Order: sequence, then structure tokens, then C-alpha cells
Amino acid sequence: MELYHIITAIAIFIIIYGVIISEKINRTTIAVFGATMLLLFKIVTQDKAIETIDFNTIGLLVGMMIIVSILRRTGAFEYMAIKAAKAVKGEPWKIIVVFSLFTALASALLDNVTTILLMVPITLVITDTLELDPIPFVLPLVISSNIGGTATLIGDPPNIMIGSAAGLGFIDFIKNLAPIVIIVLAAVIFIFQLMYKKTLKITEDKRAKIMAMDEKLAIKDSKLLKKSLAVLTLTMIGFILHQYLNFESATVALIGGALLLLISGMDSEDILLEIEWPTIFFFMALFVLVGGLEEVGVIDFLAGGLLNLTNGNLFLMVILILWGSAIASAFLDNIPFVATMIPLIKSMAAMSAISVTPLWWALALGACLGGNGTLVGASANVIASGMLNKHGHKLSFVGYLKAGFPIMIVSVVLSTVYLIIFYL
Amino acid sequence: MRNIINTAEVSHHTIKLQQLGGKVQVINSTLCYVNFNLEGLELQYVYNVNHKGNYFLERIKPYPLALQEVSDEKDIVKIISEDVDKFRNALKSNHSVSFISMAQQISKIFAVFEDTFLNYNIPFEKIEKMYKKILALEFELDMIREISSEIYEQEDKKD
Repeated sequence: MELYHIITAIAIFIIIYGVIISEKINRTTIAVFGATMLLLFKIVTQDKAIETIDFNTIGLLVGMMIIVSILRRTGAFEYMAIKAAKAVKGEPWKIIVVFSLFTALASALLDNVTTILLMVPITLVITDTLELDPIPFVLPLVISSNIGGTATLIGDPPNIMIGSAAGLGFIDFIKNLAPIVIIVLAAVIFIFQLMYKKTLKITEDKRAKIMAMDEKLAIKDSKLLKKSLAVLTLTMIGFILHQYLNFESATVALIGGALLLLISGMDSEDILLEIEWPTIFFFMALFVLVGGLEEVGVIDFLAGGLLNLTNGNLFLMVILILWGSAIASAFLDNIPFVATMIPLIKSMAAMSAISVTPLWWALALGACLGGNGTLVGASANVIASGMLNKHGHKLSFVGYLKAGFPIMIVSVVLSTVYLIIFYL
Repeated sequence: MRNIINTAEVSHHTIKLQQLGGKVQVINSTLCYVNFNLEGLELQYVYNVNHKGNYFLERIKPYPLALQEVSDEKDIVKIISEDVDKFRNALKSNHSVSFISMAQQISKIFAVFEDTFLNYNIPFEKIEKMYKKILALEFELDMIREISSEIYEQEDKKD
């Protein structure tokens, strides 16, 4: 590899990364353009570029997107939300708690963006009915979604990438991350209780309106709901067993998606239209961009540098990766960050004798929980803010930061203690 | 991201409409706006295309009129083409400006009519009086058509 290739690969990567951060150009557009530039300047060949794409990550995303796209047409989320709001007798603080717990669980089993996409509209209907400011409801939802997504392999895109690259399965994530996620979630709900509980008051007539809502009207297609829930259950069983059965997680998700597509009788064109293709192409382009850096030896160089900096000390590396990824993910898109960190950690594993497994958990916790730090830290935050804006409630960057950043710090402190106690 | 937020917005509407007892069916479709400029007169149409095979065609300008629901996309072009042709022909008349102005006024009257009907308790004799006036206007239009020469031969009459 000539020096010209190394400089060009680094220049392309930095420029593309800078444009993604600046958000001046659509992130997928610029990432795909950057990937093609690597081909143009012969940094990687076309075959090599295809090789760098992690199709396990892509397959898992597509499979889950198909399942979710069908599931969300059933009205299941709206049904559950209305039922929950009525179960707590329309009490605002209790609604926030049950919605947050439900959102965290749903985010762990589906993905954050979808969960927010399904939960925020019904939350807005509830707050419209109660005539309350929706921000104290939506903010805990978004933060719970990012926390819940941290618990599983399929909950957040960084976990999908980490699991696929490190060979860690669904159960590995549950065993290692779910305990700390439960602790963090409990702490966050306590913080929100201090912030909002006393400020949310409603009158009896508003409560009566909530109790008058009919959850059954929310079910759009009960047959489809049964089929969707059956396939979702089978898919979850598949995730639990995939390591024992020697199946990749993408295989499980794609079988689930294809089965539901078949038995639902839905028009496949309609469903496939709803796959977030820009996200899929963004992932593929990122894999190629990072693959370019690997090809020219930059990743190995950085891994060597990190090993030297920490003197091969696992404790320091875990702290550095956890806090570094949390701070970076609070301000940057965590997907390109994790895409870059994965080969770096793999390279460190190849260069030293240390067990890098704690580094994967540090990366997952940092990248996922870090997203709560600022309004731009995670896609779910941006979407929720956009939806609130549409309804005339501005969730500003600073407004979010005041709640999100301290919560992110508390989450990462708890994660640090957890990692020190159990892994170091 | 915009599309995702719009999808969520649709969900928000759907939940509210369902709680009102409505059955909501969401269909992916493409909305098409078509503009023509005929010697300064702006003609605008809107229609949607979806895989269910129904196309809702409406003229927006110079005055709104639901043209029809068609099941073949070829009909869309035919209906718009005929409509544009008729306007082009009508513009040759000295009365075209008055005609368009009157049509716009009728659209406005319809909006006021509806507002009156839905929001006011109207005495019976007033309804009777209004109805008679509308019938008289319709009769007047029929009379005008009878004594006027036809300048546009419609497709169904050509056959």
C-alpha cells in the first residue's frame, strides 16, 4: 500500500465524517458518495468493498424492519397504551412510569426508533386529552427507549454491529447488559419523579375523558395482530436459541420477517417500501468507509496507539472506551463511531493477549446510553423532537440538554461501577 | 427523517379518528400536482396514484371542482386533456373572465351555504326561499344552454 493510498483514505474518511457531523448533506448521500470515492481512488476494489459489508448486521436490520412494519399496522401499541393509561386511572405521573417501562421493554425487543414512532403519537393523544404539556411525558419515553435498547442484541443498531462483529449473541447481551440497564432505568425514573411528579395535576373531567377512551377501537386487524405476535414470539425464541442452533441472528430475523410477510397476506411492495432503506445504505457505506481505513492499516496503527497509551491496562481501556464513546455518542451519530471502534477493538485483541470482552460491553453501554446526552445523540431523540415541534411544543437543544446530559452522566457512572465490579 | 416524522403524524391522526369511531385505512400513494398556464390563466389539478387502482382527480384552480374518481390511469390524462382543451376554447370568448369570476363566486357561495346550514338554525321559510332561488338559477342556466350554440363537442356526443 502506497503512502498516497493511506493519505487519500484518511482524507476521505475525515471529510465524510465531518460532513456527517455537520448535517449539511443527508448522511446516507454523503456516506455512499465517500464509499464510491474509495473505489475511484483504488483504495479498495469493488470485491473488497462488498466483503467489508457486514451482511449479518444488514440482514438483522431488514428482517426486524419487516416484522415491525407489519406489527405496527395492527394497533397493538395503541391498544396497550390506552389500556395502561386507563389501568392507572389517567394519573399523569403513573402514565409516565408505565409508558416509560413499556417503551424500555419494547425498545429492547424491537428498536428505539420504531418504539418512539409508535409510542409518541399515542402519548400526544393522551396529553391532548389531559390538556398537559407533552414534554414531561415524551422526554422520559425517549430516554427510556435509549436505555431499554441497550439491553439486547437487537435493541439498538450499535449492539447489532457489536454482536455481529464480536460473535456475541442475544443471550450474551441479556446476561451482561440487562442487569445494569434495569438499574439505570430505575435511577432515571426516580430522577424524573423528582422533576415532574408534583407539577402534573389534572381535573376529574380530564381523567374521565381518558377512562372513556376505548382501547378496542385501536385494534385495526385482530387476525393480523395474532399472526404478528405469534411470529414475534417465535423470532424471540429464535434469538434466545440462535447461538445453540448455530444460526446467525440475521437468519432468525429474516426467517421471522419472511414468515410474517407470507402469512400476513400483506402486499410485499407496501411493506418493503417501509423498510428504512436510507439507514440500510448508510450502514453499508460506513462499513466500506471503515473497511478502507482497515485496508490501508490506519485501524491497526490506532489500535497500537491505544494499547501504548493505556499500557495494555484493561481497566484504563474500559474507562476510556466507555466514557469516550458516551461523550462522542452524545454529540455524534453513534453508528459511524461504533463502526470505527469495532475494527479498532478487534485489532487490539489481535495485537495483545488481553480479553477484550469487557471492551465490547463498555462500547455498547457508552454508545447506547451516550445517545441520551443531547437532542442529537440518538435518532429517537430527533424524531420525538420533530413530532413535538409539529404539535407546537418546542423541545430545544438546551431544554433537552438540561435533563438528558445529567441523566447520561448518572447512567455512565452507574455503568462504570457495574463494569468495575463485574469485569475488572 | 421527515418521512418518519410524517408517518408518526399519520399515526397520531389515526388514533384520534379511531377514538371518534372512524375506520381509517392508510394507503401509500403518490400525489401529483399538474399546472398549466393558458394565456395568463392558471389551471391546476391534483390527483393521487396508488396501487389500489383508484385515482382521485380534482381541479384546484381557477376554481375547485372534484372531476371524478377513475380506475384507469389513462383516463386521468384524457380528462385533464379535455378539461384544458375546453378552457383553451372558452378563453376565446369575451365572457371568459366573467365566467371564471362567477364560478369562483359560486364556490365561495357554496362554502357560505354550508357554513350557514351547519352552524345556524335557519327558519323554514328562508330555506324554502333559498331553494326556489337555486331552482330558478338552475332553470336560467338550462335556458341559456338552449339558446346558445355549442362551441365544444364533448367526447360522448362525438360517438
